[in-house]
Amino acid sequence: MGKDFLLKQCKIVDPRSSFHNTFQDMLIREGKIHSIDAEIEAEGAQVVAHKGLEIYPGWLDIGVHVNDPGFEHREDMATVTAAAAAGGYTGIVSFPNTHPVVQSKADVNYARQYSDRQVVQIYPAGALTHNCKGEEITEMLDMHHAGAVLFSDGLKSIKHAGVLLRALQYVKSFDGLVMHHALDPHLAGEGQLHEGFTSTTLGMRGIPALAEEIMIQRDLSLLAYSESKLYLHAISTAGAVERIRQAKAQGLAVTCSVAYLNLLYSDEDLAGFNSDLKVLPPLRSKTDQQALLEGLVDGTIDAICSNHVPLEEELKKLEFSYASFGASGLQTVYPALQAKLREPLDNGLIAEKLAHGPRSILQMEEVKIEVGGKAELTLCLPEDHWSLDRSNNKSKSENNPFWKSILKGKILGVINGQQSMFFES
Amino acid sequence: MVQQLSTRHVLGIKYLTPGDIRLIFETAKTFKEVINRPIKKVPSLRDITVANLFFENSTRTRISFELAEKRLSADVVNFSASTSSVKKGETLLDTVNNILSMKVDMVVMRHPAPGAHHFLSQHIDANIINAGDGTHEHPTQALLDAFSMEEKLGDLAGKKVLICGDILHSRVALSNVFCLQKLGAEVKVCGPPTLIPKYIDQLGVEIEYNIEKALAWCDVANILRIQLERQDIKFFPSLREYAQYFGVNKALLDRLDKEIVIMHPGPINRGVEITSDVADSNHSIILQQVENGVAVRMAVLYLLAASR
Repeated sequence: MGKDFLLKQCKIVDPRSSFHNTFQDMLIREGKIHSIDAEIEAEGAQVVAHKGLEIYPGWLDIGVHVNDPGFEHREDMATVTAAAAAGGYTGIVSFPNTHPVVQSKADVNYARQYSDRQVVQIYPAGALTHNCKGEEITEMLDMHHAGAVLFSDGLKSIKHAGVLLRALQYVKSFDGLVMHHALDPHLAGEGQLHEGFTSTTLGMRGIPALAEEIMIQRDLSLLAYSESKLYLHAISTAGAVERIRQAKAQGLAVTCSVAYLNLLYSDEDLAGFNSDLKVLPPLRSKTDQQALLEGLVDGTIDAICSNHVPLEEELKKLEFSYASFGASGLQTVYPALQAKLREPLDNGLIAEKLAHGPRSILQMEEVKIEVGGKAELTLCLPEDHWSLDRSNNKSKSENNPFWKSILKGKILGVINGQQSMFFES
Repeated sequence: MVQQLSTRHVLGIKYLTPGDIRLIFETAKTFKEVINRPIKKVPSLRDITVANLFFENSTRTRISFELAEKRLSADVVNFSASTSSVKKGETLLDTVNNILSMKVDMVVMRHPAPGAHHFLSQHIDANIINAGDGTHEHPTQALLDAFSMEEKLGDLAGKKVLICGDILHSRVALSNVFCLQKLGAEVKVCGPPTLIPKYIDQLGVEIEYNIEKALAWCDVANILRIQLERQDIKFFPSLREYAQYFGVNKALLDRLDKEIVIMHPGPINRGVEITSDVADSNHSIILQQVENGVAVRMAVLYLLAASR
């Protein structure tokens, strides 16, 4: 049996709730929101009272590298769910890039079953092609019935347009969703960072914005032809935002997300060869960064993702061009957005992009803060300061660009039905 | 005139001030005089140990540094990747820490990864001199190039310098651009469009694809080596076509209505980017560049040692 909670004087942050931006007491009984009122007294419930406490509908992160099975030295089911909870997430979509690749119902079940009775639900993505090689489509129907929520090869792009088209067509039989990370590998070449002034002055091969945009253009044409559903994961360029904006206006069933680091940094931040910020998609120009923020605000971009890629020190603490792409991010999305993007992104927008947007991409049931609804909640302390270090890092990996820097905005805990997890404040 | 460098490392020209460059040149003039004396050695770096770490092949840069170090009486250790544990998979940091445990004061390093020297400077205490980091910078080459140009033409402010060839893969090009601009020169690049970085114009550099027009514009042409070893894909169809349309030959120079200075950082692909009759002509200051290289490197070593 889960505990009952009485949350005292918390600010409810949920633009889809009638209690949005009001201060309330909230009683949670048997995993449900029992009552919301100005003042509630309840026997036997654990009282949670913190100055500045904010309650969001539980966040969901699409596209997490769980690395289990196969790469457990980076992350496993236990650490990834702990890191997700500590980052305020009640659900994550796991990528199929494990070893073996998630491409059968048994593989899907492994991830599904782990998260039974956990505060963080794992929603597995199945591979789109065998061994994520981009050649032949997988048994998507079977995986769908086992609980796979979307199909993708993770951060690997599908080079072959015919393969992507067949996948888009095949998932229509069960109203499924294809996810694609668009980056033309021939145009990206051996690029190490965004192609522009910075890459030129650092003497490194760049990844042109074109490498993403040309593929998004192709994908949108394939989508229009197949009349299917497509989610473009972690877009990074102004051109991509514009193309998707137009596609949505034309009525295509396309959704997209942006990785939080692309909102916070630009390629200029790499002038000192900081390999912690070597990520994929690469940090783009200031103009792209601005376009991404505008896309979030006007609704072109549906969600913000952590783009969590945990990696061992041996792959990151290296010369820039030898370091691998990727950053661990589950625990730092909220403080980063909270501290640095308060202006364009108010807390209502954060709720939209971290809780509602991801669920509508996945066509999942809405989780909103209303009496009688399921208690799937993220509890935040926006004014609290902390820093990520070995004492509170839940991930096995330390490749987080905010490692040991002072952060503002902390997760107090998460509640998901009968399950809950709280962190020291 | 400043008396001290603004930095404890020479990681790139980007990070030097025009004052630093002037100071290096003035110091190099003194050392050039020294190395032309019957006794070419001075005791300035006595008791200083310099490690030359070459993770990429080099003949002339390594010899030039070693000579500079020895003429300053430094103790020198040499390390090259082909004879080292790097091949056994040891990381750069481990390799260098091992060497530093042996109490090395200065590191001269060539490395294939851009920014390798930055990485190192964040982790070790010795003074670091970049002897080439991948396609990023080669600061002492740019310094000796500019020093040689100045020796020939006087103040570089307003002078027109053409850099010709494989700009995309060239650390020499990038360092030259930064250095020449800091000294007030105008810079233009010429080569096949596939070998010119798309955003080079944002550095304030002009682009010309026609070699004849480019040569007619300039006071000095610095002709770069075609770096076949850095081209994982084909950027131009053939060496034959390259030599015909982007190579510098005597006929081209004869058609100009002025004399221009010809430079090349070496090693030369004779008959590709430059023909022998041009390389060996009296327009060419290629061998003066080599001589000045030792003096400039002595100056850099001396000034960094003085900052210790």
